[in-house]
Amino acid sequence: MINSLEDRAQCEISLTVNGERKTVLAFPLERLLDVLRRQLRLTGTKEGCGEGECGSCSVLMDGTLVNSCLVPILQAEGASIVTIEGLAAGKRLHILQEAFLECGGAQCGICTPGMILAAVHLLSKKSEAALEQIQDGLSGNLCRCTGYVQIFEAVAKAACGTTTSSS
Amino acid sequence: MRADPSDYELVAPGSLQAVVTLLARNPGEWLPIAGGTDIMVLYAAGKLPGRKLVSIWNLPELRRIEVLANEIRVGAGCTYTDIREHTVLGREFPMLARAAAWTGGIANQNRGTLGGNIVNASPAADSLPALLAYDAELTLVSVRGERRLSYASFHTDYKKTKLELDELVQAICLPRRYSEYVCHARKVGGRNAQAISKVCIAALGRFAGQRVEDVRIAVGSVAPVPLRLTETEQVVMGKAINESLVSLARKTAIAEIRPIDDIRSTAKYRAAVTGNLVAEFLNLLKADGKKTSDVLTRWNDAPIEAATAQILPCCGSKAWAREMAARRPFDDVVALMAASDEAWRSLAESDWMEAFRRHQRIGESSAPGSSPPSSAAWAMQEQKKVADAGDAVKVALAEGNREYEQKFGHIFVVCATGKSAPEVLEILTCRLQNDAATELREAAEQQRQITQIRLRKWLQG
Repeated sequence: MINSLEDRAQCEISLTVNGERKTVLAFPLERLLDVLRRQLRLTGTKEGCGEGECGSCSVLMDGTLVNSCLVPILQAEGASIVTIEGLAAGKRLHILQEAFLECGGAQCGICTPGMILAAVHLLSKKSEAALEQIQDGLSGNLCRCTGYVQIFEAVAKAACGTTTSSS
Repeated sequence: MRADPSDYELVAPGSLQAVVTLLARNPGEWLPIAGGTDIMVLYAAGKLPGRKLVSIWNLPELRRIEVLANEIRVGAGCTYTDIREHTVLGREFPMLARAAAWTGGIANQNRGTLGGNIVNASPAADSLPALLAYDAELTLVSVRGERRLSYASFHTDYKKTKLELDELVQAICLPRRYSEYVCHARKVGGRNAQAISKVCIAALGRFAGQRVEDVRIAVGSVAPVPLRLTETEQVVMGKAINESLVSLARKTAIAEIRPIDDIRSTAKYRAAVTGNLVAEFLNLLKADGKKTSDVLTRWNDAPIEAATAQILPCCGSKAWAREMAARRPFDDVVALMAASDEAWRSLAESDWMEAFRRHQRIGESSAPGSSPPSSAAWAMQEQKKVADAGDAVKVALAEGNREYEQKFGHIFVVCATGKSAPEVLEILTCRLQNDAATELREAAEQQRQITQIRLRKWLQG
């Protein structure tokens, strides 16, 4: 039954974030980005443009890369979300985090979490991605500092499995 | 000023039926939202007109790609990633797959849907010219039922469409007849990812070496709607491609579009680029046609025995090959194709049987009669999808083949290009019900189609 007074109320949304089951109370059109940052205090996910152009709010939703600024929280009901905070295993960094550190793939840092999640998504589909595929895979993530070269190098390094942490 | 989420409702009824029921209750009250790549942008900017949204994201009824014998039905809720990764779409509709790959970035391709792109009705959308060029049809659904209409008629004016307020786009139907066409898709913009096109084109054609047999050209970002350049098409249809035709086509295209100055480009630039893209396409078509016409010219000039032997693998009947060689010279592909059909139909039954015997049994790898190497290679391409089938279907096909041969005394012939094993099996089961005379005609018709496809490949050298 659709009752407008009732439906304009907040609703309970259950989802898994970085492996943990969470239940949040939110308005259904609230952006996944805001729920992550404000309610769950996962501020690693950054807001850049807020309109799906820059990729800095990228997270994985059921293994798929999405811009969390464009996902209404209702559509994340039951989903499994991975943010930058969910990549490291304890103190051991993810191979891509390691590679970004080694190659100098981060400068001001705003794009970095999204960049790394886009790279995780890419390598989950194409574990040995070549440069052209890396460029395509990261083409929705903008960086205004590095000029991309070190970022591509970092992903290529992780793709070849030649970072320190993988040895 | 950012929108306040407490001002909005969003519901997710979970099934297509429930969504169309809701839309019918008070048409226009509820706005469907799929992946949100357009609507969430409007929402965040506080520019969303309505307050009530209904989620159609991931509805199973809208998120499937059905490969049928004559068309592919792409559910309106399929994402660009779904389209990019679909092998049959990639092979037969490369311009759509390419447009999907340069729409937004990966994250937007994972959420943006083809149906959403159509309904959002931006004249700059990258995938829409491809749908026009491929002659797509749409199925629309509401509680009143389903209707089907040509995509070319869907956009009526800037951001206006024939979609009624209680309707959803259900599927985009693509006829499977353009896989052998020359195609040209290009986006001209700041960059491929994220940037919206200044001009984009999707064009298809067949050029027989002497004249343009068929052509369809569509452009984006140069008119209030995605535009088929029908006048330009008329100008080039049936003509030889030379400098003066290219120049005339360029002028006609520029006269046909209605570009504007905006944040991304100017009307003047867009007109010049549209003309260039049309010219670029025609020159590509000409280059492809030249390759074809070189093969045809060499064959026209060959001694009769050599000409007979060269064309034989396209059909397998010696009488057909002799007849074709005797009818030379042919001016172009159209004349060659017409002669092939005529020669085939005039043959004796024993000649048809000879052609049938050259085929390998569908689902097997060697022919009962001996086949020349090119014929075997073509057969592999034609039966590619069947070869990928699971064992159970292959066993059923083998059983059906045996039964068929016992009943009709010849091998089962089917034009298998693009057909999957279950489709072929269904056709086989159906044709087993035919009487002998009907079935002979059907097999001959299938062989005629196979010959046409093989002649095209043969002409490509």
